[in-house]
This record gives sequence, C-alpha cells and structure tokens, in this order.
Amino acid sequence: MSISPLISPVAVTAYQCVSAGGDDLEALYASLIANRTRLKPLTLFDIPFDTLVGEVTSPLPEIRSSLKAYDCRNARLTLKALAQGNFRADVERAIASYGAARVGLILGTSTSGIYDSENAYTHLLQNGVMPGDFYFTKVQTAQATAEFLRLELGLKGPCYAISTACSSSAKALAAAQRLLATDCCDAVLVAGVDSLCRLTLRGFNSLQLTSSEACRPMDAQRQGINIGEGAALLLLEMPSEENAGRPRLLAVGESSDAHHMSAPHPDGVGAATAMAQALRLAGRDVSEVDYINLHATASSLNDLSEARAVVSLFPNPPPCSGVKGLLGHTLGAAGAVETIVSLLALERGFLPGTCGLQQPDPECLFPVVAAPNLEISPRLILSNAFGFGGNNASVLLEAA
Amino acid sequence: MDCMSLLGFCVCAPDAEFRGSLPFPAFDINRDTIPPLLRRRSSQAMQMAFSAAAAACGHAGRSPATLPSIFASVAGEINTTDQLCSELVKADGVISPAAFHNSVQNTAAGYWSIAQQCTQPASAIAAGTDTFAMALLEAWCQLSCQGGELLLVCYDEIWPAYLAPDCGSPAFACAMVLAAGAVEGGLVQIARPKTGAAIFPPAWTKSADSMPILAAIPLLEAASVRAGAQAIALTPHTPSWQVDLGGWK
Repeated sequence: MSISPLISPVAVTAYQCVSAGGDDLEALYASLIANRTRLKPLTLFDIPFDTLVGEVTSPLPEIRSSLKAYDCRNARLTLKALAQGNFRADVERAIASYGAARVGLILGTSTSGIYDSENAYTHLLQNGVMPGDFYFTKVQTAQATAEFLRLELGLKGPCYAISTACSSSAKALAAAQRLLATDCCDAVLVAGVDSLCRLTLRGFNSLQLTSSEACRPMDAQRQGINIGEGAALLLLEMPSEENAGRPRLLAVGESSDAHHMSAPHPDGVGAATAMAQALRLAGRDVSEVDYINLHATASSLNDLSEARAVVSLFPNPPPCSGVKGLLGHTLGAAGAVETIVSLLALERGFLPGTCGLQQPDPECLFPVVAAPNLEISPRLILSNAFGFGGNNASVLLEAA
Repeated sequence: MDCMSLLGFCVCAPDAEFRGSLPFPAFDINRDTIPPLLRRRSSQAMQMAFSAAAAACGHAGRSPATLPSIFASVAGEINTTDQLCSELVKADGVISPAAFHNSVQNTAAGYWSIAQQCTQPASAIAAGTDTFAMALLEAWCQLSCQGGELLLVCYDEIWPAYLAPDCGSPAFACAMVLAAGAVEGGLVQIARPKTGAAIFPPAWTKSADSMPILAAIPLLEAASVRAGAQAIALTPHTPSWQVDLGGWK
C-alpha cells in the first residue's frame, strides 16, 4: 500500500555510461544481455599480483587546452561519457530552458584523479618536486572533475563532490534530489566517476580482497572482488508533462553501520536500514519492489551482510542480482553506474543476470538471477551501494 | 523552511599563534574526544574534526549519537594519502591495509559514526574553494527535506607543501549543530545559501585563498557575537556564495 512520499520524485531525463561494459548505453545493454564477463588483465600500469579489472580500453578524448590543468584520467572518462548519445545536448537543453545558474552538479568519486597523481609522485621521487603541470586542487582533490565538468559545460549552479568511498555516487543522487526538492536547482547533473589506479588495486589487495579470477558475486565459491572504472552521468529534473515518459528517482535511503571502518555489519543492519529508508521516504512498501540490484562485491563479508539485510527486510524477497562479475566494482562510480543498469532494466524490460554465478551461496536465502531474464519487466527497483566507514545508500527507481 | 538555526559551535586550531589571531574562542586538539584505540593512528584531520564536533554537540546540548552528520574538507586525509602515494612509486613500497581504508574522504565521518554509535546518515563532501559554502548548502537541503537537526564539521589538516605551494595551512576545524527552522535558544538564524556580492573581509582573504576551509571564519565570528542582520560571504571571491543572518531577538 502506497502512502504519500516524504520527498518529491524527480525525473531522470537523460543518462549515459562509459565502463568496461562499453562506451555507451547501447554497448552496456548488449553486455548486460550477453552476460559474459568484461573483466580482463590490467593494461594501464603494472601491479605486483594477479587480478582482473574492468578497464575502459577504448581511446579517451583530450581535454581542451583552456582546461588542461584539469587533465586526468577521471576527467577524460567523464568527457567521454558526456559525448555519448545525446547527453551533452540534453544538458545544453536544460541550461537553455532554466539558465546556467539553475543547473547544479554533484560528483560522486572515491579517488578523483589520483591515478595521475601517482604518476606525478614518480617525478617527485626522482626530482624532489612535483611536475610543473601538476595542479593538486584541479586533479587530486575530490571536487576536481566536478569543477572540470562545470567549466566544460558552462554550468553556474551549486557544484560539489560527495566522497564516501563506494557509496559516493548513490549519495550524489540523494543530494541532487534534495537540491531539486528545495528549489535550489531546476536540473542537476549527477556524475559518478572513478578511474583504475594503483592506490585502490594495491589497497584492496592489501586487505586480501582482490580475486585473481573474474569475481562471482553471491556464489558459494566466491574468491573476492575485481576493481573496475567508469563514468556514469545522469540528468535529473522535476517531473513535468514533457518528461512524463522518463523513469523516476523516487528516493535514496542512507544510513551508517556504526560498526567498522572496512567491514560491513555482519547482519546487514545498516544496509537494511538504507533500503527501508528509501521505501519510507518514497511512501512505498517492500511488497512493491520488483527487483534488487545488489551491491554484491563478491567479498564474503559484503555478500553475506547484504544477503542478511535483504532477508531481514523482505518477507518474500524479489529477484536479486549483481553486475560486478561483468563490469567490476567501479567504487565511487558504482552507485551511478548501477543506477544506470537499473534504469536500463526499467526502460527495456529485463532483469540483469549475475555474471559468474554458478552455485548460489546457501546463505543467500532469496532468488539470485544468474542469467538475464527477458520475461520480466520490473517497475520498481532498489539499487544498493555500500562503502567503507559503514556508509550505506539504496536508490529507489520507478518506471515511467 | 525559512531558515536554519545554529544551536552551538566549536573551533579547533592546533597552532597556538594562529588560534590567538582568530576573532572568537578556539581550542587545541582534545585527545579525550578520540577513542583510545584510534589516538595513535588517527590523522590531524580526524583529531581536529572529533575535537570540534564533540565540543559543538556539548555547546548545543545535543547527543552526537542521534545527529546525521556532514563532514566537509577540501583535501580530506591528505597526509595518509600522500604517504600511500609515496609508497606506491617505490619498487618495494608497502601498502598498509589500515592506511588504505583510512585514506578515504569519509574516514572522519566513518570513525565518528562508529565512536558515537550513530547510525544516522553520514556524508563527506568537498568543493575546493567553495567547500564551506557547499557544506552549508548541503546542510540546508538536508534540514529542509528531513527537518530535525544535524552536525556539520568542516576541517582541513596541513597539506604536504610540495602538493600545492603556499597553500594548505594552517590546520583548522569548525563544527556546528544546526536545526531546521527558527529554534528558541539558537545563536543565529541562517537563511538559504545563495549567490551574491557580499564582500569577504579583506583581512582574511589571503588566509582563505591559501586554506579554503578558513572561509568559515566570517560566519563563525558573526555567530560568536550574535551579530545583527547582515549578509555573510562564504567564499573569498565575489560574486559568489553568501548567507543572510538575522531574525533573532
């Protein structure tokens, strides 16, 4: 039974995504339907252990000369996503109708341009100084690529980054919805962007979490995670007659585990709270959810915590699946990348599969979709993103 | 929502000379606010954030366990990140798992939620020179949508000098407890952040240019003396973000 929402839904009027799943939405959709892993050995740099990654291997565009100080892999991935389909034209249409000062921008990222900083540190080690073309606050700090995108597009509204590790861009969607609900903006561009870098690959390896084979979320034989990269862009606007045919972001539920910096609460209490909060804010009931896009990193602790969260909240859990065996874990971008996976599921009518799943973990007491299901057209989807610090977000989306 | 109310605040500035130059009371790091297990390996950023946050909650008479939080910082855990980057470029570099998970921007936010057993949402934001302004805007949006009260902590530790010459000093943290609407006993009422031509105090422009989080100083000064109705600049450059203060008696 639906009750009135506590926050106004917003329309997702455009979205695009560059990832290991391909350079645009059509490629991502094809990858999701084929459900064959896109994870491969890393080519971008050398690392001292074996793993597979979700790397974007197609060429990245150059940053224009006037914005060269912002040049980094994160900015290039973002610029590439901006150029796909009609996305840039859709943002320019929003600027023309509302004015640049009424269009905001929220970036979700965990490591910003640190891949390029790592290269600069090589110069530092050899020469005692950073390279002359290294600009700390235009490359490395969390807002850097947001500032680049703002200048590239000529936006003049509020602009900031949310950096809460792997929930960053799910929380960016929450902040964007609030900017619209409070009439601070008429449109908000949300970007979820993270690049492969030594810091996260070697960091997750130091935590003994990386897998040498393609990861298998929710599988009894899971061996750990694979890191990916991506840039996901979404344009949010208040609902109107013109965008009545577009899917809706109903709410984002947020919570903290208050448990451990790098391990989730074993019973998934915080994860369940985030999902419940999304439903509460939207005035929806658990029985209405048709599909859950799981965070499902394929680390044992994360998968089991999330599995317990789902079972604790849903008396009859809907079909669930996770796409990190296909695309890798895109870290700060994951919330936005997988929101886009969920929007494709809503708009094109299918349930994504769980690439790599062979034998579901017996502790996952709910239906895990292994192969994509083209027979089911979900209308209401939860998409989960959980990060270090016990930082949880769950995004609730509805078909038009 | 017409305004948000500032219920209490506290400023932490470890450098004594700089602390003495501030136009309002400020304090050194209070190690009692850091859980004993974290004292040795927590960053200056986290120690300042905790010190200011705990005292602001005390000033406002609120329990930290129930407040959603926003942690805002230009450079986050920059010294931990710097140490990791220095190791990554060495052939035999060692990456500590604890240093890795303590390098994320939401390190202070995460440990705060754990230390206070607070399961409310915690966010970590960054906006370069607009970090303080965008932090206040995020606070405004959360209070406007959800009502209630929240904790806003803005902080930056000293950055390694070679990363951004002449920037990233002195270390500074401020924490504020904010409530939706006009609340009795509030120190000041703050309107919705907006763009405008309010002039940033020239005496602080150079400091805020080199350490952007110091853009909080004019608002904190006005709050400390419960100044009359006025527009307060939130960034050292104009035209830019500002808030109107006023409405209290």
